[in-house]
Order: sequence, then structure tokens, then C-alpha cells
Amino acid sequence: MVKAELNKRSPLRIFENSIHGGVGKGNIGVLASRKGVGKTACLVHIATDKLFRDKHVIHVSFSSRVDHIVSWYEDIFKEIAKKRDLESAVEVHDEIIKNRVIMNFNQDGIETGHVLSSVKAMINEGKFPADAIIFDGYDITRARPEDMKAIKAFAEDVNLEIWASIGLRGEEPLFDEAGIPNELKSYLDVVSVLVTLRYESDYVHLKVVKDHGEMENREMDLKLDPKTLLIAEL
Amino acid sequence: MEKLEKMRNIGISAHIDSGKTTLTERILFYSGRIHAIHEVRGKDGVGATMDSMELERERGITIASAATHVEWKDHPINIIDTPGHVDFTIEVERALRVLDGAILVLCSVGGVQSQSITVDRQLKRYKVPRLAFVNKCDRTGANPYKVKDQLIDKLNLNAVLMQIPIGLEDKLEGVVDLVAMKAYYYDGDSGETIRVEEIPANLKAEADTKREEMLDAVSMFDDELMELMMEGEALPEEKIHTAIRKGTLALELVPVFMGSAYKNKGIQTLLDAVTRYLPSPSDIENIALDLDNDEAEVRTLADNSKPTVALAFKLEEGQYGQLTYLRIYQGMVKKGSDLYNTRSRKKFKVGRLIRMHADHMEDITEAGVGDIVALFGIDCASGDTFCHPDLNYSMTSMYVPAPVISLSIEPKDKKASDNMAKALNRFTKEDPTFRTYVDPESNQTIIQGMGELHLDVYVERMKREYKAEVETGMPQVAYREAISQMADFNYTHKKQTGGSGQYGRVAGFVEPLEEGEYEFVNQIKGGAIPTEYIPACDKGFKKALEKGTLIGFPIVGVKVTINDGQSHSVDSSDMAFQAAALGAFREVYSKAKPIILEPIMKVTVEGPTEFQGNIFGSINQRRGVIVSSVEDGNYSSVEAEVPLSEMFGYSTTLRSLTQGKAEFSMEFLKYGKVPAGVSETLIKEYQEKRKAEQK
Repeated sequence: MVKAELNKRSPLRIFENSIHGGVGKGNIGVLASRKGVGKTACLVHIATDKLFRDKHVIHVSFSSRVDHIVSWYEDIFKEIAKKRDLESAVEVHDEIIKNRVIMNFNQDGIETGHVLSSVKAMINEGKFPADAIIFDGYDITRARPEDMKAIKAFAEDVNLEIWASIGLRGEEPLFDEAGIPNELKSYLDVVSVLVTLRYESDYVHLKVVKDHGEMENREMDLKLDPKTLLIAEL
Repeated sequence: MEKLEKMRNIGISAHIDSGKTTLTERILFYSGRIHAIHEVRGKDGVGATMDSMELERERGITIASAATHVEWKDHPINIIDTPGHVDFTIEVERALRVLDGAILVLCSVGGVQSQSITVDRQLKRYKVPRLAFVNKCDRTGANPYKVKDQLIDKLNLNAVLMQIPIGLEDKLEGVVDLVAMKAYYYDGDSGETIRVEEIPANLKAEADTKREEMLDAVSMFDDELMELMMEGEALPEEKIHTAIRKGTLALELVPVFMGSAYKNKGIQTLLDAVTRYLPSPSDIENIALDLDNDEAEVRTLADNSKPTVALAFKLEEGQYGQLTYLRIYQGMVKKGSDLYNTRSRKKFKVGRLIRMHADHMEDITEAGVGDIVALFGIDCASGDTFCHPDLNYSMTSMYVPAPVISLSIEPKDKKASDNMAKALNRFTKEDPTFRTYVDPESNQTIIQGMGELHLDVYVERMKREYKAEVETGMPQVAYREAISQMADFNYTHKKQTGGSGQYGRVAGFVEPLEEGEYEFVNQIKGGAIPTEYIPACDKGFKKALEKGTLIGFPIVGVKVTINDGQSHSVDSSDMAFQAAALGAFREVYSKAKPIILEPIMKVTVEGPTEFQGNIFGSINQRRGVIVSSVEDGNYSSVEAEVPLSEMFGYSTTLRSLTQGKAEFSMEFLKYGKVPAGVSETLIKEYQEKRKAEQK
């Protein structure tokens, strides 16, 4: 399969369709779940899908080492290339990987404002023509309410879409009846799209909780395949 | 054998400026090899003893590795001083090949920096067990705890503190040993008297905690120690040492020591650790290749009674002629005995046998297995294996990267010309990454190497050591040409100039080759080209690849398949088919959409976060691709892939952009396609140059 065909048939098109075409510029989309359910895999698949469409992505991470993140991308790329029998996979890989930059921070010593200014330096001074920013492993429990607001303001300022993963902790139930994670309730106004992940009967279910202006509690027609760690059709 | 078990061959690997030379100097002093201490950038003009070259003295860095022999508490220790700058890594790599263990020196302020990462990667490649020494604990901002954490986070090492500091910065007094649970102070003018005391009361609680952490980590390597700990029994020091040694040898533990070489603190305890935890030659398995048996792997035996196997790992031009540094892997080397160089296949007699101490030497009559010694006046290249005449082994070949940069040099006068030839002959033997040739077109002498600084140093050495003044041209990147698509050829070479003519026709196709430089496939059926002319076709294609027509650089990554052709009973010859192949390639080359490739370097820039924007910008301006940026506290490290052609003068730019607070290292990564715009410029320049030459 050639790249264009692969993009057309990607399950990420279904993903986008179920959230009104995507997160949109200046907005924040959030993937939330307990640790180890597959947020990073989803984020990396979302990012890789953008790279496949010749978009530029900044991957901001807070927890892992850079080589771990790189191997996430390598694994996801390999799985996609294998599944779709991608033509000239090596060339496609080398071409798209140039459009990704990884910025790793130790959230311990660094304020959110500082992270944002570093990302801005990458865009302005580094002349990196970013189309989307991935925030991986952002610890919401350590963030202050104004931090999320600052991220939203930043997204609007640079006119980019931001996808973030947020790990949920604490006792069950993590979600209320509307499927909203308790930890995220106070941040809902700055989040445009909220998707939660839950492992149940052999695979990871994706549920849209907020879709732009509307609160929903709707299962996507997609799952995260625990074997390939790819987002796939049900 | 008892002596062999006590022997240590160690290297001191470090980031430049982390105080490695000072540390070596102190080791020589405490082990009684030298009787006074000089500083690297010494005011007394003498310079540290290990820093033997004049140039190194001036720059305050060590470039060539020198081996020196010391004794510490009945342990013979050979120390290889290795260079820290990444441009000279072949020196580091060669030294690592012959080492059994290493001390990784880190600055307590700078911590794990880009070159520490490079050096550690090399240690990992050669599976060298190591200790870490956090130096410069007397400096403002010293934090050995942070450095230990960085060893874990950045280098993925199981780093465990063996000591904690007593005071830091200008209040550094000594260290607490977490095994003996004693405080060590270094008294006397040069720290030569060790005073052992009880742990100061204010450090007791911290020492207890850190000892617990240390024991938890090291008990994993010794079941007996683990049992004693679980039963709450007293832990004999020897048991703890054994566990640390096991973990270190298995490359699963890196014990961390600390001090300040400059302030004479922590060196003797580090030497104790070298003898306790680093391996002896008999702990390490070494493999040779049997050249008489299809290069089958053979394990060398740490036994003096076996036939000799030794590796010449370093050549040096000394005051009295060529010195060859040797590591003995099996048997003995004796004065007057015969050895066989398995590369040159020449036998020679061992003349003077030397034990080296930086610039002084000691004559010896024999040396046993594991030892590092030097021979005088042997004609050989570095990397050669010397065996007993009955053996034909070669030690595993060393990894030698291809040069990426070249520079034309022109001697200023006749005398300089002779001296330059001598110098080049020496340098190419000493350093396999340094190469030289005469360009047949321009008749200029070209030198090639691993980076700008690498070549700079050799040009300087020519001037200083060989009195050869040379003019240098602009550095030239080693470009390559390649084809990007398949194309058919069908070419007839025909010449009639009276007498027997020349005739040959070759047909087939060329296509890009993913791996390797050149492949030739013969698919001729039915004798369209007689078999005897096939090698001539191969030769013709190879010749065509030597120089591309885009910018005159070699063409790589080409697979040629011939499947048809024609010959003439009288006019065909080797020469005719060679010419046909050459012509065929020239014809098909443009159809195969040729491209230019350039060396891409992996560049790591480190500096305070406040300059991050400037660093990003500087990489972007150089056609660089930023791969990642890592921020920790106020320190930021940016990794990028940048074409070598854009890196000239980067150190100056970076200095001015960051007030001299950032630094960078680079190494060759891969060849990458040159973008269209740049490619056009290169082609235009080449064409203009050719036109000018033709006039």
C-alpha cells in the first residue's frame, strides 16, 4: 500500500470523525486513563498519523527518557507499516521522522510556563513549523489550575492543536455517571475534547466524554489493540 | 599467577576539562612514580607528567594516549591516559580495546556531559567494567549526589555511592567510606598522609542511610551477603568488597567515588578501589582470530607458558625512534626472542623492551601475560598482532570509522616538504582514521580525518614536532554521488584506427543498492559476451564509479547487472570491454537520476537553558534537524542531525551565542541526500572549477 492510501484507510479517520473532524487549532484534546492502559500508545499513534500526513509534531514528554519515546514511535511505525504492507517503508520512515522533535522535561524542577516558553523557542528560533503538540505524561495532580489555563492560552497563541495524556490516580470510582474523570472536572472548560480509555473484556475501549461544546458519554467504534498497541476498528 | 591476579590495566576516560590529567598526575605521585606535582596548566611551565606533547601542554589537554606503569599496595597497574575530545575518539577506542577496566571521571559541577555520554558508549561497546570518580568536589556548585543521579538517568548505569563527601566546595575536607564506615582525611602538603577517624556526628545519619542504599544495591550480587543482611548479622567488609567486585565485573554495578584531584583528596581511596573492584587480565575473556583456520575465534589464555600473542595498539614517535605499545594477551615477550607480525608476515627480533612512565622509560628483559609494555624500533602499524612464530593469530579488528573531512596541504618550502612527508608517514601509522593521498588532478597532498579539530591538531603537530610549515586549503567535505532509480544501458564501444580495432557492446541495467558500495551481477546467457571479458566489464564499471560526473566524488550504492552484449572475434579485447563498460556507465548515469550525498553528523549541544532559543536557531540555520531537547533544571541538551558542511566554525558561533557557556560534540552518523538547492550550487561550483582548470 502506498502512503496516501494508508492515510485514507487509517482508523484515525474514524477517530477524527467521531470528534467533529479533530481537536482543531488552538484547542486541547485529552486522553485520560489509569497508568498502563495505553495512553502513550494512543498519543504516539495520533502523532504518527499526523507525521504520515506530512505534518510536523513536537512531542513533549515529562516522564520517559528520549530513547524510550523514540522506541515507541519506532514500534508504532513498524506495526502500521506491517499491517498495511507499506511500500518503501524505509524511505517513508526517514522522510517523516524529520518532522518530529522530542522535548523532554523533568516536571519536578520545571514550571509549566517554562515548558511552554521552551516549546515556543523551538517554534520561533528553531523555526520548527509545528502543526500539533503532544503532551505526554503530564502530571495533572502536580499542575495548578492556572497551568492548564496557560496551556490553553498557549495553544491559542501559537494556533496549534495540543493532545495531552493525563494519568488518573486514586480510589475507584475514577469516573462519575457521565463518564467524567473526577480529577479532571475542574479543567473541563479548557479541554475541547476528552477521550477516556478503559480496559475491559480483552481490549481497551475508547469513550468520547467531551466533544467540543457537548458533553457525551459515547463509545467510539474503535479500540486499542493490546497486541499491536494500535488504534483499530472494532 | 598471583602477580597476574593483582595486575590492573586501566584507562581514565573523561569529558575534557573534568580534571583527568590532574587525576593521573596525582596517581603517579601517590604511587611514587613522580616526586613532585605539576598542574596541567601549570605556572611552573613543566606541565603534568602524562601530558607529554608540547601541544597538549599549551592547550591543557591530552591528545595521544600514553601508557604508564605504577605500583599500588603490591598491585602493578598500567594506566592508559585517554583523550577526552570526541574528535580523537579513535585514540580512546584503541586504548579501550586493551583495557580491562576504567575510571570514568566526571566533574562534580558539570556532571554527565555530552562527551561523558560518548565515552560511556565506547566503554559499553568494549564491555569495560568501570568505577566512577566525581572530581572537582571543591568547586563552587559541586554536587556529587546529582552526578550519581545523572549516571543513572542519562547513562542508564546502576551507579551506587561508595562514599559521601565531608563538606563540599571550599569546605571539602575528605570522604566518608560507606563500607568501612570511617572518615578519611588527606593531610600533609600534598594529601599524602591519610588520617582515618570516626564519622563526624553531623554526617552519621546520612552515612547510615547511604550505606543502607549501597548495601541494598550490592547485596544483589552475593547471596551470602544477602543472607547475612536478612538475618541482621554483622557484615564483614571483605564480603561487601566481594559483592561490589562481582557486580562491577558483571557490568551491572558502577561504584561511585569522589574527591578533588586538584586539592589532593580522595585519590588513594580511589586507587584502593581500583585494586579491589576492577578486573585483572585473568578475569577477562579475550578472543583472537586464527588466520590459518578461516579466522576461527580462539580464546587467548592468560598463561605465561603458552605461545605469545600481543597487540600493537599504539605507535609513538619518541626522541629515540618509534615506540610500539603492546598489550600481551598470551605468553611472554622476552628481549632477544623472535616474534611474527601476522599482518605484514614478517618475523622480527625483540630488541629493547621498555616499561613506560610518561616521558621516562625503564628497560626490562621480559614481560608476562596481561602486561602493557613498549618495543623500540619495530616497523609496524597500529593494530598489528605479534605472535610466537608458530602461531598466526590476529586480535579482533578494531572498529575504524571512515574519514569525513579532507584538507589540502602545501609545504612552504623544500625542507618543509621533506619533513611533511615524514610526519604524514608517522601520523598515518599512528592513527588509522587519519589518511593522506596525493590528488592526481591537482597534484596536491590531501589529508583526511574525523573533524576539523582532528586535522587542525595534525597540522599543528607537523609544524611543532617536524618543523614542517604548511599552507592549508579550505576544509572539504567528503561528498558521495549515488543513483536514485533504475535505468537501462546498451552501449557499443567501437574504434577503427588502422590495424586491429576495438569492439565491445554491453547491455543491462543499473539500480540503487541499499547496502554496500557496489555489486556486479552477470546474467549473460549464451556467451553474448565471452566469459573471459566479464572481469573486464566489472573493472570498467568500478573505474566509472571512482569519480562521478556531478561533482567529481566517488559514486556509491550501485548494483550493475549485465544481461546482453556482443563481441568481435578480432577486435574485442579486455581493454575494449573495459572501455565499453565505462562508456555504458557514463551514458546511463544521468538516466539513473544521480544525487549527491553528504556526511550527516550527530551533534549534541549542551548549555544553560537560557540560551536554548539561540541553540535551536543556530542548528536551524545550519540545515540541521533537531531530534530532541532534554531539559533538567537549568541545563539543556539538544541533539540534532546536521550536515558536516554546515558545521565549520560552529564552535566560534556557539561561543558567541552563549557567552561561551555551551559546548558541543559531534560524530559521524550517516550519509544523507543533499537538498536540491545545495546540490545545484555544488554542481555549478564543480563545473566552474573544471572550466577554470581547462583554460
